[in-house]
Amino acid sequence: MKKLITTFSLILITLFSSSWVNAAADLDVNTPAISAIKNSMQARHAQLNPHYNSGAVGLTADGLIAVRDATAVPLKDRGGINSLVAAENSDRNALYKEIAAGNGHPEWAGEIRSTFANRWVDKAQSGWYYQSAGTWVKK
Amino acid sequence: MPAHAISSIQITVEAVDAPIGQLKNAQFQVDLKGAQAALILNADLKPTNEKEFDHFDLKCGQFLTEKIGQAQCLNGRFLSKQINAPFSVDFVSYPSDFSLSIAFNGANFSDASGLHAGENLTGQIKMAAKKSNLSQTWLWNGLISWNAGELFWQPFYFGKAGNTFEINGTFKQDVLNIQNASLLVNEVGEMSATATINTKTKVVEDVRVSAKDVDFTGLYAVFLKPMAQKTAFGNMDVSGKADWQFEIKNLAPTSFELNLRDANIEDKNGKFAFSHINAHIPWDYDEPKNLQLAYKSGHLLRLPLRETKLSAEINRFSLTAPQLNLPVLDGALNLYDVSAVRLADSWAWHLRMDLIPITLSEFSKALGWPVMKGQISGQVPLVTYAYKQLSMDGAMTFNAFNGTISMNNLKIDDPLGVVPRLHADLQMRNLDMGDLTRTFSFGAIEGKLDGDVKDMLLENWKPVHLDASIQTSEGKQLKKISQRAVENITALGGEGTAAALQRTFLRFFKEFNYDKIGLSCKLRQDVCEMGGVESTPTGYVIVKGKGIPSVNVNGYTQKVSLQDLLGRIKRITDSNSKMIVD
Repeated sequence: MKKLITTFSLILITLFSSSWVNAAADLDVNTPAISAIKNSMQARHAQLNPHYNSGAVGLTADGLIAVRDATAVPLKDRGGINSLVAAENSDRNALYKEIAAGNGHPEWAGEIRSTFANRWVDKAQSGWYYQSAGTWVKK
Repeated sequence: MPAHAISSIQITVEAVDAPIGQLKNAQFQVDLKGAQAALILNADLKPTNEKEFDHFDLKCGQFLTEKIGQAQCLNGRFLSKQINAPFSVDFVSYPSDFSLSIAFNGANFSDASGLHAGENLTGQIKMAAKKSNLSQTWLWNGLISWNAGELFWQPFYFGKAGNTFEINGTFKQDVLNIQNASLLVNEVGEMSATATINTKTKVVEDVRVSAKDVDFTGLYAVFLKPMAQKTAFGNMDVSGKADWQFEIKNLAPTSFELNLRDANIEDKNGKFAFSHINAHIPWDYDEPKNLQLAYKSGHLLRLPLRETKLSAEINRFSLTAPQLNLPVLDGALNLYDVSAVRLADSWAWHLRMDLIPITLSEFSKALGWPVMKGQISGQVPLVTYAYKQLSMDGAMTFNAFNGTISMNNLKIDDPLGVVPRLHADLQMRNLDMGDLTRTFSFGAIEGKLDGDVKDMLLENWKPVHLDASIQTSEGKQLKKISQRAVENITALGGEGTAAALQRTFLRFFKEFNYDKIGLSCKLRQDVCEMGGVESTPTGYVIVKGKGIPSVNVNGYTQKVSLQDLLGRIKRITDSNSKMIVD
């Protein structure tokens, strides 16, 4: 009997653990909101790319981006770098929220964010910086 | 005893404490081997406001001191982690005055945060100061100019060289007073400024800047854009002439004025544009001011705006106007009791609105829709915008297709954001199907149509939720449906939709009588649950025939993807517009 309860509990834990969420959440779900956000991020990427390459901007552990070294930004772009990063982060936060909503589970936003945080790092080009355990690491 | 010439002097100092900073591990060396003395100083320096010591090397290739109180350093170079500046200095000092002239060539500098930095700067700094013994005040004047290189001084970027700043003022114990600064900024023009700076806290306490008849393009690029970065006006192409003046006292803005003459602005994201603007935009913390704005033409979210003159009162953080008239296409938006207030970094406003009829043909053309006949008019008792949400009490009425379409309960979340969300209910009454089908090239149907769309939600202007139904209006009317329209409705329903007639029979008549036409869609995300005028055991009736010849069209597919449905409509209307129907 005890064994049965243990097994049952294990099944329950597995069902409601984050790994189950990841397995179940469709990260590629598409809604008009998601495609609008993706288009906006796509359009901004050309502006951000040189800053990832120079190490001025890096990927944070919570699926956002941050200014790592403002002195690496060309002077002409330096005044606008903070609002560029803020606009990207606003889109990223909205994306995680919308993907969770598109899956019919708004409460999954946190899990989706951490999954994306890993995805961004995996997809990052070598030479880009990402945050790991509070410090910047060069990929 | 042989004579020994001194070839070099070296002095080492362990630490120096001065009000402006600390110096340690200083090595001072004068090299006398060449024809002229060379001077080298290297040390660790920590200015009072910095946290850490930074190493620097200062070298003078030729160091000259021909007269007492005079020093010249030629072929000099200052090198530290953040600075690489080749320079020459001419310094003259007397007991109570001094003058200094520095020429720099291809200099680079930056503070640790990168907020103040220059690259490849070539130019000069001249400064002279005299101390008044009576008041213990320094009177000084200076000149900074550079003709090559770029400078970033948070938040301003001077990308074009050819700038000269002439400054004079006083200095007395921690307070640097700039009594008059004349700034010649390339691509902007001449500006003047006064300022009070606390040198101990490095805080600029008071500033007054004024520019008359300068180039608006440069003024916007250098000074206004950095300050408008997070507003709707932060990403524009502009041109024209401008006057600009602002004043800050005790760190708080007290007045502002922007005058524009024959200016043009265009949002780079295409949300708005205005041309031939003449504007007087004043603001004062203490007294109400009158704002005036006029433009020849423009557009807002692609909706063309005609010549307009606006005036409003600005009172500290609020704006009011009893009436604003905005000509739009061939009609106008008349706004009444306009009131706006700045709340926690964003604007909130409300107003009443009358829509002076706008011809629908012009309106639909402007938005790139099929050209429709009719007009839009309406009275909206209250429109409010707060916390990024626009909402409308009352109905907006479109008189179109000889009937009416009214929009109720309109709310738009974040209308200028990445994902605008529009909520509304629509009511359509007595739309002329003849007009409607001709407009959308859908094969002729004669009759009247009613429709209701409830709980409509558009995400980024695309429907994701609605309960819609359209059906033939009540009452006597001519009800005819063409063969082409029957074929199109059949195609619209996709597989499983069938005209309950033999194809050959359908071809035999060009026109059929009907009793009712109706279709409904419950849209949830991309899935539309379809229905018709009535249900059958296997589906629903879209066209219910009556008389001779009559036709029935039945639908069998209950759930349709909206994307597929819109794709089918597009294919039908596209192909039909290319051929002559009926």
